[in-house]
This record gives sequence, C-alpha cells and structure tokens, in this order.
Amino acid sequence: MDAEFALQLLVNGLTIGLIYALVASGLSLVFGILNIVNFAHGEFYMLGAMLAYFVAGTLGMSYWVTVVVVVLAAGAIGALLYDILLQRFEGSNVERGVLATLGLSMVLQNGAIFLFSTTPRLTRTEYSFKIWEFAGVTLPLTRLFAAVLSVIAFALTWWALQATQTGRAIRGVSQNREAALMVGIDPKRVSRIAVAAGIAFAGLAGAALAPVYSVHPTMGFAFVFKAFAIVIIGGLGNFQGAALAALLVGMVESFVGALASLVIADAITFATMLLVLLMRPEGLFGRGVRL
Amino acid sequence: MTASAGWTIHSIQPILRSLLALALAALALAPLLSANVYVQTLGVSACLFATMAMAFNLVYGYTGLLCFAQVAFLGIGGYTAAILVTRLGWSFWVAAPVGGLLAAIAGLVVAFSSLRLSRHSFGIATLAAALLCTIVARDWVSLTRGSMGIPGLPAPEIHLGSLDIVINNPYRFYGLSLIFAVGAIAFLHRIIHSRIGRIFVSIRENEPLAISQGIDPLRYKLLSVGLSAFVTGLCGALMVFNLTIVDPSILDFYYTETMLIMVVIGGPGHFWSVLVSSLVFSILPELLRFSTDLRLVLYGLLLIAAMLVFPKGIAGLLEKRGTDFWHKRLAAGRGQVS
Repeated sequence: MDAEFALQLLVNGLTIGLIYALVASGLSLVFGILNIVNFAHGEFYMLGAMLAYFVAGTLGMSYWVTVVVVVLAAGAIGALLYDILLQRFEGSNVERGVLATLGLSMVLQNGAIFLFSTTPRLTRTEYSFKIWEFAGVTLPLTRLFAAVLSVIAFALTWWALQATQTGRAIRGVSQNREAALMVGIDPKRVSRIAVAAGIAFAGLAGAALAPVYSVHPTMGFAFVFKAFAIVIIGGLGNFQGAALAALLVGMVESFVGALASLVIADAITFATMLLVLLMRPEGLFGRGVRL
Repeated sequence: MTASAGWTIHSIQPILRSLLALALAALALAPLLSANVYVQTLGVSACLFATMAMAFNLVYGYTGLLCFAQVAFLGIGGYTAAILVTRLGWSFWVAAPVGGLLAAIAGLVVAFSSLRLSRHSFGIATLAAALLCTIVARDWVSLTRGSMGIPGLPAPEIHLGSLDIVINNPYRFYGLSLIFAVGAIAFLHRIIHSRIGRIFVSIRENEPLAISQGIDPLRYKLLSVGLSAFVTGLCGALMVFNLTIVDPSILDFYYTETMLIMVVIGGPGHFWSVLVSSLVFSILPELLRFSTDLRLVLYGLLLIAAMLVFPKGIAGLLEKRGTDFWHKRLAAGRGQVS
C-alpha cells in the first residue's frame, strides 16, 4: 500500500467518521438528558435524507439552502417529538422509553416504505460529481462538505455547551436533574432544546449524506445500529467518547473495507462493541466528563 | 365489564378459564380436522409464534429483560439444525436440540457481557447480536450459502419399531408443531410457577431486595435468557424444516417486532393473556390480510399507544379493573360498618 492510497483511506475514514460522530453524539445527547435510548434516531437521519432529496432534487434548491431547511425542520420535529412523546417517559422505566421509540421507528420506517417504496434514490446537487484534489488525494466535494458541516456542528455545540447559559443548563440537567431544578433551571425547556439539537444532528447527517449515498427508507436502520455500537464503545452518555469512537469506527470501516471487505468492517465494529462491554463496560474512554 | 356490579374479571374467572380452555382446544383441533392446507399451515405458524412469544415473555415479562436477540436465537437454531442435517447428515431429532443449545450458549455470552452494566446496554448488545447474526447468515457464504439460503431440507422421519412416519405434509407438521408447542409452553408454565419463576419476578420487581434475600440476580437472569434462547432455537429448527429452506430472512427484524407486540399487548408477565394475544396476532393479520408495511405501521402505533396508556398490556388493564373493584367493595364495606 503506497502512502497516497493510505492518505486517501485516512481522509475517507475521517469524513465518514465525522458523520457517524454527528449521529452518535445526537443519540448520546438525548440519552444524557432523558435517560432514554432513542431507537427512532436512525429514522430521523432517514427523514433528513428524504427531505434533502425532495428539497434539492424535486424543488431544485441549492445544496446550502437544503442543508439549512433540513436542519431547521429536524430541530422543529425534535422539539415536537419531545413535547408529544418523549416527555411522557421521563423518569419512567427504561423499557417503556425504548419500546415507545421503537414503535415510532416502526411507524416512520414502514410508513416511508409504504409511501415511497424501497427504491434507492440519488440526490443530485450542484456539487455532485465534483471533486477536490490535494496532494494526490481526491475527495468528492459532497463528502468534503459533509465533513466540514459535521465539524462546524461540533464546534458550535462545544461552544454552546461551554459558553452559553442554555448549554450550561443542558449540562446541569444531564448531571443532576433535581439540583438543576433547585437552582432555577426549567428541565422541560432544557430537555426540549437538547432533543431538538439531537434530532437536528441526525437530520444534518441525513442531509449531508443524501448526495453521497443513495436515499431509501431502510437507510436509518443499519446506520443507527452503528451509532449504538459507537455510543457503547465510547461509553454510554459520554459525548466526547462517542465522537472519538465514531472516528475510530470510520477509520476501521475505511481501511478494513478497502483491504478486506465492508462486511468484515461491520463485524469488527459489533465484535468490538461486545468486547468493550466485556472488558471495559464504562466505555473505551472511561466516563470522562459526562457531557 | 358490564354495568351490572360484580361482573369483574375475578368473579367470572372460573367461567372464563374453562371457556378459554375450550376455545384453545377447539383452535388446536381445527387444523387437524380441516382438510385445508392453508389452515394447517396457519396452524403451524400459530404454534411456533405462540411458543416464541411465551419464551420472550419468560425473559421480558417475568424477568424484566428487554432482549432483542430472540430473532438471533431463532436464526441460530434454524441454521444450526439445517447445517448439521445437510452437511453432516445428522438426524433432525438430534440437530434441533443442538441448535437450541447453541442458541442458548449465544444468549449466555451476549447476556453475560452486557448484563453487568445496565439495562440499556443489554438492549443495545442484544440488538447488535441479532445484527451480527444477520451479517454471518448473509455474508459467510461458505457456511450459510449467503442469501441463497440452504434449500431442500429433508422431512423429519420417525422410526419406532414398525412405525415409520415421514413428516412431509402440512397436516403431519401441524401435529408435530402442536405437540412441540404444548410441550414447550407447559415446560415454560412449570418454570414460571416454580421457585425459579418466582425468583425471576422478584428480580424484575426489586433487584436489591432479591439480593438481600441471598439471590444472585446475574445467575438467574442468565438462566432466564438461556432457557428462553433454547426454546426459541428449537422453534427456529422447526420453522426452517417446515419451510424446507433456511435463508437470512429468518433473522428479519419483523419477527422481533411481532414477538414484542404479542407480549406487550397481551401483558408482559402474564401467562394466559400472552398466549391468547400471540394466537390473535398470528391469526388475525392473516384474516385481515393487508400489506406488511401497513401492518408494521399499525404495530408501531399499537406499541406507542400501549406504552402511553397501558404499559402492562391488556392483562394489566383487566387486573387493574379487578383491584379497583375490590377497593370499591372494601371501601363500601367499611362504609357500612361505620
């Protein structure tokens, strides 16, 4: 393997890992604040991609307009999701939240199959089929933008969590709900914002990957499994751990996928997850700072 | 119940029980008396689904472990039996229990690795195990022949002295499935109503309290998963030999969702209501016969509604009616005394 090929694989792994990180950290955000594993998370990624397909493909909007529309829509859906469904399961037992979100996932996925059939669709934007070349590494522009969008989303979230009042409130609620309530934080408002952000992340990932991969109703299903594995490897509820694990999984997928096969990469990801559960149940990166 | 006071689930329970027993017996006999192949095939699937649902009920309803790997156990049982019979020429009657055992071992491995952490990680790990099995079934072509599946599974044969039976038609297969289902469900009934079953419930209800009584919860949780996986693995072996082919569709998430709906709507941790709901949910969709996608949308809505309104299922609702009735009765009695 020459250096150029390795560099190419590195860049590919980094871009896909960044997108995984986006989905996994959204999952982690919702879990940290509500203690609910959102089994419907992949479906929002799918809906984001579907919406991107319609906005960019059918309505003919530009790439950046599409991304903004999808993120805003996903955020609104996230807030609705919290108000209508998730807030009823706060503090109830684990299984109720899991089963309710699983039911939601069944409705969304099979509803989408019923309405749009399972035919994969290709989203065409003005950047499709354009590439960026640098030091012998070629990168399709859509992949590059997906990575850039992910980095921007992370930077914004990091800044918001550290420097804004709302961000500090989110961290407070996820650390100790009662204590947060005592110092005057409204946990419902904070939870709504966190869920909206988590779903917006999933939507953004969908919009960013719609022009890279094909769009179809079952895309969220396989994707969210990987996000689950990533969240476990990184440590449940550990925001940064999930992001690091996502990059790792992206790398494994890129290198193993190129040198052996994608199937083996998938198997490695899941086997790693089971191994992490056995050896280091607190996650590969320890508990660290819990969000 | 009706407006006339006294008509609660408790006061008519003996009548209900005998009616239920009669209905179950009639339902079980119908495919045997009918010459209709469709009815017999439906009977086979109802038997297997009822057993799978009861096995899932053991682990989720009674022990409180939301295990998504049931479909993996089904697939492991089916694939193991099929491979042992076609490749190694084993008899079905040996291969099927070995399939069940392998499913149980897989269940123990997954459960042991994830149960020590939290119930969340148990759910996620069992889900991942199911997906890992799909990957093996679809992509380990030299072992499982990938998505082509292993076709032409031979019919199980019974040789007892001069008696030779080849179970090669739906009628005979229904007989076999019925005997298996009654046996397996009776076995689960025995477990559930034994000391072990009560320990399962105590772990579900209050784990710290169970520990304080000297119970090691992990061992009993593993036992519950192992038993459930074994029975489900046997179902898988029967299922694939009924279809005469095994392919990756046996690992479809559809089976998980169907088992979930049967147990959640029936009432997790209740025996007869889950049995009834498993029969209803295996027969009713066939009669109504609409597209699978819409059926799953409906199941999803049912699941959400159940979690919002009646998280303990129909049985939970009825039970609550019963306790409300007695509360009222007692309150009224106290009123008279004072």
